[in-house]
Amino acid sequence: MDTPDYFQFFGLERKLALDTADLEDRFHKLSRQLHPDRYARATPAERERALEASAVLNDAYRTLRDPVARAEYVLKQQGTTPSKAAPPQELLDEVFELNMALEELRGGDDSVRPQLEAARDRFLALRREADAALENLFRAHDESGPDSVFADLRALLDRRKYIDNLIQQVESELSR
Amino acid sequence: MAYSDKVLDHYSNPRNVGTLDRTDPRVGTGMVGAPECGDVMRLQIKVNEETGIIEDARFKTFGCGSAIASSSLATEWVKGKTLDEALAIRNIDIVNELSLPPVKIHCSVLAEDAIKAAIEDYKKKRQQQKG
Repeated sequence: MDTPDYFQFFGLERKLALDTADLEDRFHKLSRQLHPDRYARATPAERERALEASAVLNDAYRTLRDPVARAEYVLKQQGTTPSKAAPPQELLDEVFELNMALEELRGGDDSVRPQLEAARDRFLALRREADAALENLFRAHDESGPDSVFADLRALLDRRKYIDNLIQQVESELSR
Repeated sequence: MAYSDKVLDHYSNPRNVGTLDRTDPRVGTGMVGAPECGDVMRLQIKVNEETGIIEDARFKTFGCGSAIASSSLATEWVKGKTLDEALAIRNIDIVNELSLPPVKIHCSVLAEDAIKAAIEDYKKKRQQQKG
């Protein structure tokens, strides 16, 4: 079976700024419709189809409920994958500097703990900013069409990925 | 995943880690990255303006062992080469030398890109100097 379009599967328009509460309702409704109990007396072929649809439903829900996974999904369908795009120079410079700052703190004694915590808070703030920027791009995408935002979206998702990575590193350092 | 001996060697004794003065007209800086794994790599070359030979190279990489080993090896290889010779280094040479597994080939691509970016930066600076 070809994997259907996730938006179509939920009967949704191709909007990035989607209402997650509405998505959840649709998910529960479809889950009930596809529940194995309802297929107790169905033919094996029908049961098989319902099972496949359930698997798609779960993948589709996991993808669309998370803003980052949702945006990656839309970009992937458009043919832009993360590995193909070269990140902008300013981003690399910024990430390099943040990594340098983190490295200086790493492996130090307990006295650097407050600085590590400050670094973590800074990275978390950067991620919140990225998430807010993401919402703006979602709205722009839905209002002005996909072509206007794909490049910005790719760059922002890359930036967020780097920030995420830094947060993981600083948190693993703090939990040692 | 098991690293090859050569990767481990470069990882535990990286060659040429450090920084060259970015504002020096003889220095070219290449900064590249792979967002999906969070890697950032900076490779710098210092070129003798008389001979056109790369006299020194430094790198600093935040990333996995293969990314560090690839950039460490790249700095070793570019030293003593002309710009054209350095441009001829291919990622597959790095893959072969370090026995990188298929999932780590992108690390060698990053190192090749870093060499090219550093040379391009140097050439751009020279162009600007000439006016």
